[in-house]
Amino acid sequence: MSIKSYIVHPVPGRKSQLIFQLSKMSSCEVVAAENKDILILVTDTSTKEEDDELLSKINELDHLSMLTMVSGFNTTSN
Amino acid sequence: MIFNELSNRRTFLRRMAKLSAMAAATAMFPGIMFPNEQLAAIPNGSIDWKKAPCRFCGVGCGVLVGIQQGKAVAVKGDPKSSVNKGLCCVKGYHSIMALYGADRLTKPLVKENGKYVEKTMDEALQLIAEKMKETIKDYGKDSVSIYGSGQWTIPDGYVASKLFKGCIGTNNVEANARLCMASAVTGFMSSFGIDEPMGCYEDIDHANVFVLWGNNMAEMHPVLFSRLLDQRMNRGSKIVDFATRTTRTSTAADKSIMFKPQTDLAVANSICYEIVNNGWVNERFIENHCNFSKGLTNIGYGMEDKYSFQDKPEMIDFDTYKEFLKDYSPEKVEKISGVSARDIKYMASLYGDPNVKVMSLWCMGANQHTRGTWINNLIYNIHLLTGKISSPGNSPFSLTGQPSACGTVREVGTLTHKLPHGVVMNEEHRKEAAKIWDVPINNIDPKPSYHTVEMFRALDRGEIRFMWIQVTNPMVTMPKLKRYRDAAKKEGRFIVVSDIYPTPTTDIADVILPSACWIEREGMYGNSERRTQYFEQMIEPPGQAISDTWQIVEVARRMGFGKQFAYKKETHIEEIYNEYRRFHDNKKHNMAPLEVLKSQPGAMWPYVDGKSTKWRFNAAYDPACTQGEFDFYGKPDHRAVIWQRPYEQAAEEPDADYPFWLNTGRVIEHWHTGSMTRRIPVLHKAMPQAYVELNPEDAMKMGIQNGDPVKLTSRRGDIILPASINERGMPVRGQVFVPFFDEGMLINEITLDAFCPISKQPDYKKCAVKITKA
Amino acid sequence: MKRLFIIGLFLSMVVAVFTTSIFSYQTSKEGANVVEQSNGILLPQEAGVFERFYSSTHYAEMPMSDDSGRNLDDYYANRAYYGAPPYIPHEVVDEISIGADNCLKCHKNGGWVPKFEAYAPVVPHPEKTSCRQCHVTNKSEGVFKVNEFQGARAPQLSITALPGSPPAIPHALFMRENCLSCHAGPSTPSEIRVSHPERVNCRQCHAHNETSVSINNVFARDGYQVDQ
Repeated sequence: MSIKSYIVHPVPGRKSQLIFQLSKMSSCEVVAAENKDILILVTDTSTKEEDDELLSKINELDHLSMLTMVSGFNTTSN
Repeated sequence: MIFNELSNRRTFLRRMAKLSAMAAATAMFPGIMFPNEQLAAIPNGSIDWKKAPCRFCGVGCGVLVGIQQGKAVAVKGDPKSSVNKGLCCVKGYHSIMALYGADRLTKPLVKENGKYVEKTMDEALQLIAEKMKETIKDYGKDSVSIYGSGQWTIPDGYVASKLFKGCIGTNNVEANARLCMASAVTGFMSSFGIDEPMGCYEDIDHANVFVLWGNNMAEMHPVLFSRLLDQRMNRGSKIVDFATRTTRTSTAADKSIMFKPQTDLAVANSICYEIVNNGWVNERFIENHCNFSKGLTNIGYGMEDKYSFQDKPEMIDFDTYKEFLKDYSPEKVEKISGVSARDIKYMASLYGDPNVKVMSLWCMGANQHTRGTWINNLIYNIHLLTGKISSPGNSPFSLTGQPSACGTVREVGTLTHKLPHGVVMNEEHRKEAAKIWDVPINNIDPKPSYHTVEMFRALDRGEIRFMWIQVTNPMVTMPKLKRYRDAAKKEGRFIVVSDIYPTPTTDIADVILPSACWIEREGMYGNSERRTQYFEQMIEPPGQAISDTWQIVEVARRMGFGKQFAYKKETHIEEIYNEYRRFHDNKKHNMAPLEVLKSQPGAMWPYVDGKSTKWRFNAAYDPACTQGEFDFYGKPDHRAVIWQRPYEQAAEEPDADYPFWLNTGRVIEHWHTGSMTRRIPVLHKAMPQAYVELNPEDAMKMGIQNGDPVKLTSRRGDIILPASINERGMPVRGQVFVPFFDEGMLINEITLDAFCPISKQPDYKKCAVKITKA
Repeated sequence: MKRLFIIGLFLSMVVAVFTTSIFSYQTSKEGANVVEQSNGILLPQEAGVFERFYSSTHYAEMPMSDDSGRNLDDYYANRAYYGAPPYIPHEVVDEISIGADNCLKCHKNGGWVPKFEAYAPVVPHPEKTSCRQCHVTNKSEGVFKVNEFQGARAPQLSITALPGSPPAIPHALFMRENCLSCHAGPSTPSEIRVSHPERVNCRQCHAHNETSVSINNVFARDGYQVDQ
């Protein structure tokens, strides 16, 4: 399983749209900053394939400007 | 959340990932905020706060009870309640602990061959119903009775009255409020024709002077007393303590005036004398809104069985009243009362000054009085003569001691002569009750039966054979206790007691029913300022315990009154309340709908057009007024009555054999008989046992030191208590004081069962004792 | 005629000034303390936040690490549950008193009490003078009957969302608006003693997280649903 967190920069003025899109995707948790155009995104996936697929889907979002990974945990055992 | 919570480890990792991202964001963008996340991180979120009125006294503070995993874990004052504005007293803060005593009654117990046997609730209720039917068959309907209290919720009292008065057809319904505020009721009825205070607690925020008539508010109504203290600090209001014993209230007051027991009657008349003689009478008010009356005098003390008394009011004029007052000049009264003429004149001048708003407050000192109705009348006289009534800050205010003494006993009318609206003697009132209750009109007996003391005497004599006691502890609180305890133990008497803990009263029971208490069920209380407050069920009652309401409903059904008690279990409280409201469907007494009570910290009746009425009888505030600026609509001629009531001696005064006055009362830590508060460790440790307070000079003369055992003897018996000198209170010379909360030292073994002939309320404050070092 | 008019105008102005000042004086005197009830949720009172700020610089100079004061275990030992009024752990002078000056002598400003060899805790609500209404003594050991009550427990300390961010206030603010009385000075439990008492505007950084009626009322923004 892998758990990763990112700092997400939306396209200026599109913060709320991006939050909506991200929160609809399964295995994503979004935390929005109140006073900056910044989101925190946490992804939680079971396999590497799933993780790659999710990342590419996120990268395709048109309201997304930039994605910076902060931390990642990967544990193969239970 | 979109994730499945697979494991704690996974949740933890996700949280760590989130935190590190937030930390990085904070470093990159100083000042960035994630408010919801910050708050959610604090693990205080599982406490659910729910509103209720406090379980204890008649002040009716709003409390918020913290519920966590099905248990009550914390209490705080409700800042939205206009009663206490967020503050509680030590009893209120620890009230929830009273639900968790290890010896809670959880199963019905039935006495078989001298031993209690556990039964199911169904068996016990069936037994009670059968026993009642059998007793009625053998001895008539007036041989069964129910004795409740001002701790009954409104639905409890309502179904008790409906079953006994409506269905069975006996007026044997009484409540311990008879021992507590019956004189306040008769005082209101005789002076105004309608019960309960005209003003409200908001008067405190307007008054300039507070006169406390024999009322140790600092201990008995502490939250209200703090409101007085706040007003003194913020606005310079004055507090005058007029009492027979020096208490915490006296030491906190601006002026403390001591009078000899029973002479408050003379002092009140003397204040009226001064008001009349100094021209401080509000002539216009008297002329438009008042009558003068006198009643019978030398009316006795009710100490003999089957004593009966009916007052005969007679109209008089102002001049006759003035003539009567001549016996009460301050100089003459000084000799009777021990209050200096100067102090009497001082009090009169406060009442007399038209620019000073005065609030008089009283509770047991005036009510537990063999002339309790009279002293209530006399305090109203002072306010009526000066016109200081029914307006913000001008308020004679009768306080109560139980959470629903007003709401249940006085408004629902669980006294022998009362109906939810009106009295049994009135045919119209009976008709209305019969219609709402769905019973034949001649089911309701037009003749009142026994008041509390007489009810226990009837149990002794054998006229009453069955008694159901709910939420009260008469085997601690009845005066001249031994007689009534022996009565209950007699052969052929069947006593049912519903309670939450074993008490001296459950000791005499044939059946003990475990009850659900306060927030373990749903209900409403009504406090001293006409405020009805609702509470929901917040936690489950222990074991088989059920509410007093449902106990009565179940028994009624088993007795064949299913038609009248067809309430659904889930909604019965709401159904009962809505049925009860029909009795008060008029501008003088309308009760707020249940949705309103659920949404706010109570509402004051009359609740008209979506508004509570703060000052009754005043046309500016009370929509029931129809004529003039003030309208005392309780009386047929819309006028309040100024009563000519003389000073008469107490039933038993100290003499050579029994030279001391005995006064009994309460302490701040314990509520009434202490069956709840003594189980709260904080309170028990602060006040572990009863004591006898002595005046230091008396004690020195007799060589009694603090803590020494002292024997008190009256004509009824004796008791040994530890002496308390210069502690909580200080009686004047020739007087002793004993609190009554301690079931281990029952002071009521030696008190006197004399009562006010009009209200039938016993006087626990005055009898004669002698003192010896034990 | 003109002169009369001017005199009249002048007189009426004098009268107006006079009446206005009398009227405002009178209204300022009466009913000043009536608290109107609002239907919305009452915010915790802000009064008292800056109380005791005059002591803050002294607090700042005091050594932080001394062990002479109480710790949190002592602090909670005489409370029935988290948030309950503490009982009085020492003997009292005068049972017949409501408290007031007897208690406030030591508990208003704190300081070293040689008799008990301790620093007196400072009361956060010195304006309430009927102390014994809520605070009772502890005269005897043992109980009347065993009680199984389990009270609310204190939250863990210093739980913050972000490492290094200011902790939120976990307790009710009613009668506890004055932060420094319990979080600064030598009588404070060392665990909750603030490291920067000189910054008196505590709630600038410390958010209040204690709700007034139901925890479900925690402020939450509506969802982020927007048109696509």
